[in-house]
Amino acid sequence: MRANLEQGGHTTDMSNRHATHVQRMVDAVLNGPGDTDSALRHDIEAQSAKLGGRLGSEVGEIPAELTAYVSKVALHAYKTLDEDIEALRNAGYSEDAIFEITLSAAIGAGQARLERGLAALKGASDAAQEA
Amino acid sequence: MRLKKLDEVLTGEPVTDVVRTVSYRSELFGRPFIAGLQESLRGPSDWTVGERELFAAFVSSKNHCRY
Repeated sequence: MRANLEQGGHTTDMSNRHATHVQRMVDAVLNGPGDTDSALRHDIEAQSAKLGGRLGSEVGEIPAELTAYVSKVALHAYKTLDEDIEALRNAGYSEDAIFEITLSAAIGAGQARLERGLAALKGASDAAQEA
Repeated sequence: MRLKKLDEVLTGEPVTDVVRTVSYRSELFGRPFIAGLQESLRGPSDWTVGERELFAAFVSSKNHCRY
């Protein structure tokens, strides 16, 4: 597999194909029509990605009542409970808004992992080339 | 609520949370997500389908999620 990863053209085509799909999904979630402002979804994505280890990007503030929920989705989504959703409903968020918030946080967490994974892979390839 | 309607349409069949998540407002997430998923898990690759499924199952396990 390692040899295949280093065959430039083939890998680039494959990377582009996957990157296009990922970008379409990110665009749909963060920029598509919804109950929440696109800017808020971008901020949630950035906050979640930062928690997941994305370095160096500007992160806008998200409303205080969303902080704990976004952290939970970003770091240990399996701990999410009906009560968490209920708390956001009580804070005035519609179910559609909560869906969008959840997706934005999940996208941020996933993106951060993907970025870290690809960076590690690139680093490994570079190290191999230097050896 | 649209989710309720979805459940009504699929009455009699067990609807998993995954299906609900990708079906609800599918233009927002489900459709582009499934397209990417299909490409990753079933598209041309140096990895076999079985290997890719195993990677996905392993990551889900690390995330404390059933796969």
